[in-house]
Amino acid sequence: MNNVDSVKTDVLVVGGGPAGLATAIKLADELKARGEEKRILLIEKGASIGSHILSGAVIKTESLLELLPDLKIEDIPFDSKVTTDSTAFLMENDSYTLPFHPPYMNNEGNYIASLASLCRWLSDIATEKGVEIYSGFAVDEILYDGDKVIGAKTKDTGIDHNGTKMKNFQAGTQVLADITILAEGTRGSLAKTLTAKLNLDDNKNPQIYSLGVKEIWSVPKGNIEAGAVFHTMGYPLRSGEEFGGGFIYGLSDNRVALGLVVGLDYKDPKFDIHAAMQIWKTHSFVSEKLEGGKILEFGAKTLPEGGYYAMPKFYGDGFMIVGDSAGFLSTARLKGIHLAIDSGIMAAKTAAMALVKGDFSDAELSNYNKAFQNDSYSFKDLYPVRNFRQAMSKGMVLGGLMYGVQLITGGACPMLGKLTTEADNETLNAHYEPSFTERFKGKLEFDKKLTFDKVTDVYYSKAHHDEEQICHLVIDDQESFNNINIAKFGGPAESFCPAEVYEVHTDKEGNKNLRIHAENCVHCKTCDIKSPNNGITWITPYGGDGPDYVYM
Amino acid sequence: MALTIISLMKQVPLPSEMRMGDDGLMDRTKAKSIINIDCAFGLEAGLQIKADNPDAKLIVCSMGPPSFNASLKKAISLGYDEAYLLSDRRLGGSDTYATGLAISTMLKHLGYGKGLNEDFVIVAGRQTSDGDTAHVPSQVAEFMKIPQGTFIETASLVDGRIHAKRIIEGGYQMMSLPLPCAMSFTPTGITPRRSSLSGAIKSNDTEIKMFNIDDVGLSTEFIGLGTPGESGSPTIVSKVATIKSERAPAKMSTGHGEKALVADMLENFKSGKNTIEVKEKKAKKVKKIDDSLRVIDFRNGASGILTWAEVVKGQITRPSLELLTPARNLANSLEEGTKVTSLIIGKNVGELAKELIAHGADEVIVIDDDRLEEYRILPFSEAFAQVIKKNNYEIALFAATTAGRELAPRIGVKTDSGVTADCTELLIGEHVHRNRETKERVVYAPILESRRPTYGESKLATIIGFVCPQISTARAGTFAVPERDENRDGSITTFTPTLDEGEFVSDIIETVIGEAGGAALFEADIIVAGGRGTSSDDMKLVKDLAQALKDQGINTEYAASRVMVDEGVIEYAKQIGQTGKTVRPKVYIAIGISGAIQHVAGMKESETIISINQQATASIFSHSDFGIVGQYEDVLPELIEQVKAGFTFGIKAN
Repeated sequence: MNNVDSVKTDVLVVGGGPAGLATAIKLADELKARGEEKRILLIEKGASIGSHILSGAVIKTESLLELLPDLKIEDIPFDSKVTTDSTAFLMENDSYTLPFHPPYMNNEGNYIASLASLCRWLSDIATEKGVEIYSGFAVDEILYDGDKVIGAKTKDTGIDHNGTKMKNFQAGTQVLADITILAEGTRGSLAKTLTAKLNLDDNKNPQIYSLGVKEIWSVPKGNIEAGAVFHTMGYPLRSGEEFGGGFIYGLSDNRVALGLVVGLDYKDPKFDIHAAMQIWKTHSFVSEKLEGGKILEFGAKTLPEGGYYAMPKFYGDGFMIVGDSAGFLSTARLKGIHLAIDSGIMAAKTAAMALVKGDFSDAELSNYNKAFQNDSYSFKDLYPVRNFRQAMSKGMVLGGLMYGVQLITGGACPMLGKLTTEADNETLNAHYEPSFTERFKGKLEFDKKLTFDKVTDVYYSKAHHDEEQICHLVIDDQESFNNINIAKFGGPAESFCPAEVYEVHTDKEGNKNLRIHAENCVHCKTCDIKSPNNGITWITPYGGDGPDYVYM
Repeated sequence: MALTIISLMKQVPLPSEMRMGDDGLMDRTKAKSIINIDCAFGLEAGLQIKADNPDAKLIVCSMGPPSFNASLKKAISLGYDEAYLLSDRRLGGSDTYATGLAISTMLKHLGYGKGLNEDFVIVAGRQTSDGDTAHVPSQVAEFMKIPQGTFIETASLVDGRIHAKRIIEGGYQMMSLPLPCAMSFTPTGITPRRSSLSGAIKSNDTEIKMFNIDDVGLSTEFIGLGTPGESGSPTIVSKVATIKSERAPAKMSTGHGEKALVADMLENFKSGKNTIEVKEKKAKKVKKIDDSLRVIDFRNGASGILTWAEVVKGQITRPSLELLTPARNLANSLEEGTKVTSLIIGKNVGELAKELIAHGADEVIVIDDDRLEEYRILPFSEAFAQVIKKNNYEIALFAATTAGRELAPRIGVKTDSGVTADCTELLIGEHVHRNRETKERVVYAPILESRRPTYGESKLATIIGFVCPQISTARAGTFAVPERDENRDGSITTFTPTLDEGEFVSDIIETVIGEAGGAALFEADIIVAGGRGTSSDDMKLVKDLAQALKDQGINTEYAASRVMVDEGVIEYAKQIGQTGKTVRPKVYIAIGISGAIQHVAGMKESETIISINQQATASIFSHSDFGIVGQYEDVLPELIEQVKAGFTFGIKAN
């Protein structure tokens, strides 16, 4: 059978996170209000909605309430309302609580949630409104007519690791759509190729990222109250070297969500965010909250932190990009869900108008950008802090100073104007000293009670991957990879990957080569971001593969 | 009319989420569900036949609650044309006999069967993960009076006949079956495909046709739960006990690189296994059965125990000899003079009869027929039924080999008695039943209690039946072979069954079996076993490790999981697992073995288990005392070095 499997829809949404679901829900409402009957198809690569969703998460509620105007806050399945909120500064053997909140970090009126649960709930709402949702299908190709996006195609399955078709080969399905909306989340693999093909990031800062490594624990009653929010700065991170901090959120049923988020612009090739998170847990400020408890879940994900100046052009002929893939995340707040939803609302309004007019051109879809720039909710959150992250990458002290100036001037930095950054894969220093492993010598043994090695943690992500497929972590050029990533930098993938996907193996003759344990991958995308010389490309594996988060 | 491919499919709870309700029945409400793995291979086999026969119609049938529709929709998304579900509360508690009856009744209602549309082939899974009996395909075939092939790996339709590869102990058979026929597929054939998006969209728009038992014309006489001996399924679950895992969580090695990992394992080994706290439980009072209750002897004069002596390559198989142990114990628990009879079928097998008597049979019935030189399901089951009818046995036992597991259920349909699969304990007991209407409590005794591990080996279920012969299959390796005594007396008689041409419509084209043997595995102190993860060098390093231990004077053997046997890396005699050998060495080293339940069944009684696997999530680690996550090619050389330096896993040289 050579005839291509093809499906036609009016709107295709790729990705079932908050941005994609918000787009679908708002679009269904807008079309209904206009009396239009259109097909909206949403495809998610996770086995089910929510299984690849991970966030802190403390949520600002305004955009969610705008999305669901008939609902009250009590109707939304948040975990807990934020009751207390404090930020602590950690030193190796001490800590003190800051007497104030860092600007934008006040969480009063916000809610702690499991974003995975919230997305499951949103997907039920979308389904009720007529959106067709299919999970477990990976989309790995954008369909073009010239430079116009005309849809996307799901991945072929039944291919062995050499790329040979097997007897159970099943061709992917072409989905032809008037409008394709990419809502893939952080470092979307389609958004990445689209951005490159259409130069959507011309004159923009490179997108830069942090990696968040998160665990959920069950702890004895009394360790932490539901609704309690703690953020930490300092140990084991160092000002000027590693940007980031920790979070500890009290959940219902005596559970705790906790994690460490660190900018991927660090310089030390041996720096290991997963290990840093384990060390962070041994600080008494953290460990006392986990005392007597046990881990329930583990996960990791990157966050796009480049801010306003790193947002690509997020529309064009036949397409729009929403949420994390388009950079809708406020680093100053450490939040993106509210903006993801807002971007979805703006894109949906644009799409509804386009569908009514039957015009899917760049010009028509530019209304999405106009809505954003026109003092939108997202704009108000992103523009004033447009130089925040760039300043922070200069170090917390100098950064804080520059950021302080911005607060007064409304984001402008009189010394420098638009601050620029390097891409995360250009920041490593092959001769960095002292290295992470030297600095924390003796602290990298994990007891499997409070602290875990990567493999043990991966077990709690429930990650799995079909063995019979092309490895979804692609080394484009083995020779240059060996020269740059292994010989020059000593295999930083071993350190930066939080899931022990990469292993630099030394054989008896002393030759080093990279082994890839793709089955461990939790789809955080760090390797795609941080490998020097873009050594590793993350492509989507079969739909349904990957972690299976429950309450992340 | 075009060919119809009928797939029988069951939805099962994810093995990790299986739970049982208080009533001993499966609680399907809470667990996440999937298409039973073997059934998924059956579905794929149907799609493969369709690929070569584009005009064929694909239909999928299931029996169960309406929630099964999710899996039927999935089948549609894979390419099936129509889906049917037989769903009725009155089917609850049905055993495999009743299930076979219900499904065959539905198929006849759909127009398929002898005298109806005969241009069809049934493809099913070998067994289900929540039942593990492998009976239903055989029973459906017998109810429909059509030929069958079970444990099939691949099949194709060639010139109007099915050519199929059947997996048997130590090898395979190429079979040729006429249409219509039924096949059950092992999960070793062509990996089930994934749905396409377009298929998933199509399945959303496809209606699943649902029937209740009245729609298909099925009465409640033989289905569901009823009154023993009067109505309902012939067998019921009488008791369920939890099998406690005696093994504490494994000590996993930590460290970077194979040197550190192996060194850490040695350290762990020295410090000993993790232990689990065993809570003292109050001894339960043994319930005494009220002497005043009416005792029903439902046997109606049936007496004696029949066992099947399976012959392969002119030898009685070891599992068939093992059967004589429980048979003798059962006979001793019954009335004095209860006889153990073995039936042996083949060509020139008369001489082997003496062997059975030497191992404990009181009587041997010999069927000698040139046409029966090789085991074939149709004539063997018919011959068996005739012997049973003539002599009216109360119990019939089969070894749970690939042949035994298809033969017993087919016979069980002919005798309307149902079958219990893959038992590990067989004993005589009694069963108290309270009549729902009269409230009278009565005792059924003596009755065969067949105990079998179920739900992923987590529960031990006791199954009883009220129709004679009470038929069970016994797991190979569970019972010891009785001691041989050449001077034992016994009678040998012959029997000539009436077999017409209809019993010979299926042909065996070729049988390929490796050498038997491997008895040394039962005696070894250390067994080093390799699985899929050791295929890169065809288990060379596994053998090297075994040799290194032997060189240290340790009684060591190497062995393998099913995959390595299937791939021809190693002979069947070395296979450990449910369809291979069950072993209990002092130390079992599982290398590159994922820990499929079939394998674990054959080694979990080992004193100490060490696992090496590169997948941290491999389930073998939950059956182990010590574990190393690492690559086979790296860890083994290091471990071999340690053995050469004197590390022998705590075993002293002889």
